[in-house]
Amino acid sequence: MTVLESIPEIPASSEQSLDPWTESGGVYWLNYSDLNVREVAKAMNAMRARFITITAYQENGSDALRLEYHWDIAGRLLGFTFPLAAKSIDSIYDLCEAVDWIEREVHEGFAVDFTGRVYEPLLLREGNTCGVNLREEVAK
Amino acid sequence: MSYKIPMGPYHPALEEPYKLDLICEGETVSDAKLHIGFNFRGIEHLAETRNYFQVIALMERVCGICSNIHTLTLCQAMEKLTGLTPPPRAQYIRIVIAELERLHSHVLWAGIAAKLMGFKTMFMTCFEIREQVMDVLQAISGNRVNYSMNRIGGVNRDIEDPLAILSMIEALESGMVKTIIPIFTTSTTARSRCAGIGVLTNEKAISLGVVGPVARASGVGQDLRRAAPYAAYDEMEFEVPVQTDGDVRARLLVRALEIMESCKILRQALTKMPPGELHTGDGKFNFITGTATSRVEAPRGEVMYSVSWREHSRNPSRVHVRTPTFVNMPAIRSMVTGARLADTPLIQASIDPCYSCTDR
Repeated sequence: MTVLESIPEIPASSEQSLDPWTESGGVYWLNYSDLNVREVAKAMNAMRARFITITAYQENGSDALRLEYHWDIAGRLLGFTFPLAAKSIDSIYDLCEAVDWIEREVHEGFAVDFTGRVYEPLLLREGNTCGVNLREEVAK
Repeated sequence: MSYKIPMGPYHPALEEPYKLDLICEGETVSDAKLHIGFNFRGIEHLAETRNYFQVIALMERVCGICSNIHTLTLCQAMEKLTGLTPPPRAQYIRIVIAELERLHSHVLWAGIAAKLMGFKTMFMTCFEIREQVMDVLQAISGNRVNYSMNRIGGVNRDIEDPLAILSMIEALESGMVKTIIPIFTTSTTARSRCAGIGVLTNEKAISLGVVGPVARASGVGQDLRRAAPYAAYDEMEFEVPVQTDGDVRARLLVRALEIMESCKILRQALTKMPPGELHTGDGKFNFITGTATSRVEAPRGEVMYSVSWREHSRNPSRVHVRTPTFVNMPAIRSMVTGARLADTPLIQASIDPCYSCTDR
């Protein structure tokens, strides 16, 4: 697992090499494999980055999911990808209060378990089951 | 002894359904729980079943107030996947529609806030002014709600006589300066209902990551039009109004000042609008495989779209929408804690919530 001592700065000029970052689709992605989401959250807190959102993707042709986390620093959108092998990932709610509702939404929509936190229903009513977006009738 | 008062999902003080369970000690709110999902339409999933023309019309219906912002953000993301850049005139037209939308959204909110304060005359005045903005939007697009202005690579319609809109902007500015701003800032009713209530501190605003006028009223001066300019905003001169009190009055002042700044932007965009084409491309689009993200400063704050596509596909494989109200609503819990029960309708309205956007 890659241990993040600090997040490398993104060069201010587009003429400089972005490495280890790459820019794609309006997002600066950090090209480290096997990142730990809690370490990223701590590093983002240290840089006073603003949490934006988590987007869940179902991998093409499989049940596997990946989550993309986004933070903003001075108008630049940073992205970190986390493949989920077992539909489970550490919650960062205790590190980042702003993540509360989106963790709950992804949990209800894609049945992802954000470990280490307690959920209350957000979009679902009591008695509904999580994983609404994965049901056969809505899956492509 | 504490007791619970459920407000909603259907309640006269709520414009759309959502539920706020207020835990009270006497007349003071000690805690609150929010419940959303009553407007859930599964729009993100529907988007995956629509082609690149249909998906624009679908996403325009995420929100009834800032419909244009959703298509603008979506089209900007799709332009990154198709490699198209809208021509300069289209970029200016996008600014004009976006700022007109901000104007009617903010004036609508001012009217609703006035109504919740018990200030019916001001409610009428705001809606009379808003009608002028709606008339201009209708004259440009032919519609009052879903304007269908944006397309991949530009806009669908021209503004044939930009300078004709300037008189509306002058009338709106005059109404704001002579009537709405003085009354909201000096009237005893407005002050007693708004000052010092529903406070969101600067620290809490940063911690919760709130956006738009809610953030700017708590001293967080973020605005994507300045921080990450899109369309032609980097060619516009404007201020980002910031207040530090974090109460309902600060949120009201920020929006009032933003109306003035929108008028300033509109005047520049209309007078400097370059001639030229309205869109690039021939209507056939080649998407690359990948994900593109776009962010826009909507009237309520930052909207973000993540759009995924597979090459040769007509439909997106994923569209994720992060709306401003989804981010701002959790702050209501902090705002109402310690407030008087009678102030809670105005406090929850002060974030200018859009539940349709939130639920999608």
